[in-house]
Amino acid sequence: MISVKNLYHSYSNDEKYAVKDVSFEITEGEVFGFLGPSGAGKSTTQGILTGLLQLQKGDVTVAGYDIKHIKNEMFNKIGMSFEQSNVYSKMTGKENLEFYRKLFDVKTRDPQELLELVGLGDKGDIKAGEYSKGMKHRLTFARSMINNPTLWFLDEPTTGLDPSIASEIKSIIKEKNREGVTIFLTTHNMFIADELCDRVGFIVDGEIKLIDSPKNLKLQYGEKFVDVEYVDGKEAKKESLSFMEKEDIGRLKEILDSYEIRTMHTKEATLEEIFIKVTGRELV
Amino acid sequence: MNRKILAVFLRDMRVSTRDFVALYIIVFPVLFSIAINLFVPGINDSTVNIAMLEGDNPEHVGYFRDYAVVELFETADDVRRRVEKRDNIIGILPGSKDYYIFAQGNEPEGLVDYVKTLRAYEFFGVTAEDTRVEFSDFGNTIPPIKKLMVNVAIMLSSVLGGMLIALNIVEEKVDNTISAVNVTPLSRGGYILGKSIIGILVPVVGTITMLVLTGFSNVNMFQMLMMLLATSIISILVGFIEGINNSDVMEAAGNIKILFLPLMGSVAGAELLSDKWQKFFYPIPFYWTYKANDMILSRSGTWGKISLYTAFVVAISAVVFAIIAPKIRKGLEH
Ligand SMILES: Nc1ncnc2c1ncn2[C@@H]1O[C@H](COP(=O)(O)OP(=O)(O)OP(=O)(O)O)[C@@H](O)[C@H]1O
Ligand SMILES: [Mg+2]
Repeated sequence: MISVKNLYHSYSNDEKYAVKDVSFEITEGEVFGFLGPSGAGKSTTQGILTGLLQLQKGDVTVAGYDIKHIKNEMFNKIGMSFEQSNVYSKMTGKENLEFYRKLFDVKTRDPQELLELVGLGDKGDIKAGEYSKGMKHRLTFARSMINNPTLWFLDEPTTGLDPSIASEIKSIIKEKNREGVTIFLTTHNMFIADELCDRVGFIVDGEIKLIDSPKNLKLQYGEKFVDVEYVDGKEAKKESLSFMEKEDIGRLKEILDSYEIRTMHTKEATLEEIFIKVTGRELV
Repeated sequence: MNRKILAVFLRDMRVSTRDFVALYIIVFPVLFSIAINLFVPGINDSTVNIAMLEGDNPEHVGYFRDYAVVELFETADDVRRRVEKRDNIIGILPGSKDYYIFAQGNEPEGLVDYVKTLRAYEFFGVTAEDTRVEFSDFGNTIPPIKKLMVNVAIMLSSVLGGMLIALNIVEEKVDNTISAVNVTPLSRGGYILGKSIIGILVPVVGTITMLVLTGFSNVNMFQMLMMLLATSIISILVGFIEGINNSDVMEAAGNIKILFLPLMGSVAGAELLSDKWQKFFYPIPFYWTYKANDMILSRSGTWGKISLYTAFVVAISAVVFAIIAPKIRKGLEH
């Protein structure tokens, strides 16, 4: 569905690359998570894949189209949910969707149905300018589905949404994937990536550090951790220690000897912990 | 028209009617026509001006008074001097056998015909009661000030069309929606075309409205439309560039005003300056538009002349287009 080979991009048209020698493949029906800290080059890569940014160097095909000679008809197959919601504030939610659907050549979905899907069913006649930030974000998300895309780009689809709505968005994404939609998900939320993605790619400073499935990563890097909660004097304290590190094991012994233990759980390393371990960078 | 392009236009139109400034621009021609009709005498008030001798036959003078505004002068030389002034006034002086009519040469043909006809009717003793012909149908009885104002308003409506485009582009920029449109099958060219329609259609409808309401409905509408379309090119280009360069609605509207200077300058130049200064206005498209509109409104524009002036406007606009079109494309990338 997507093939990227040796992609470079520089906003200043020089050697200062925002994206450097990036290569990856995404197969049909896959959910691919593109993970990295702020400024890593996620949106830049996505911008090139969707034709919003000019391809400078590298070979990119998207949904069977060569991005070097982009064809407008390609967009009939693509949906794009933007990180920053971008809807017409002087038009109502429904008008926004009604307008947008007219720009496609393929069968489109009913605006009201889409609004209901994202919990805006009764807000369709309100101007989008009067929407809250989260509502605008949901409208942007709903809009990206209007042409029944087979390839769906999602840039931070749940960021800034309250947990219950975020979980609804997640279930919509899962449902779409079950229907066979290929999904390119950009995020720095590791929990969402872990939950939704078949494979993830870690990108830092414009370079891909690793691509694998969350499951494999956990097997490979998944040393056991123990969360221990204990009482030091009157204070309750909590520490997370690895079974694999000598220092941590010593510390664990020390705690067991000296304090009253409240709870103690073993757990797998999270994707976030693996990311930090692999890249040496926090996901901020 | 392509369905997608139409959708872009209809969206702009709908949003424009919700914006105070944009709505004002759209209804401007109607407001202007009402104002012009209130303050400038209408077409049916006979404002054919005739200069005659004070000592002339009172019956003769009285006949013309019924159908025109008559100014009396002491000597034939005074009459002559009066006729030579800029405005349109026709002299009637007694000759050896008959009265003779004389004009400066720059008066609309219709006006001279009208006075000739009046004289002929007087000679044969025809009065308004004897004929079903409306005298006002004959000549061009439109006062020059009215013609000038309508002319300026037509050009203004084209500039305002450009302003509408700018307002709509600024809106897309503020809402950051251009990138959303860019990931649809609508081509960049189609988008630009769709955005341009409002800048053509609003001036066209506005101009026709204005012509009808101010009594110019009998002009050659095809000539008028040809001239208007040519003039709109420059307004559209400036509209796009100002929309792209400004991120605030009022700022964009304010910057469009840079077009008012060459517009009003051309009018002033064409009307007030002597021949040797005229060439300095040749590079300004509004200069040619003004001159062409003036002929069309006087119903004295030949297709040859109007086409030539249209060609001048298009040629100048093409140069402007070559300079700023790449900037417009670039500016709409995100
Ligand atoms: N329009 C631009 N002009 C110049 N530099 C840019 C532009 N957009 C992004 N950059 C730079 O390119 C790099 C990658 O940015 P990008 O937006 O791709 O990061 P990101 O991974 O999407 O970050 P975030 O998680 O904050 O969205 C950053 O260093 C950023 O400063
Ligand atoms: Mg980003």
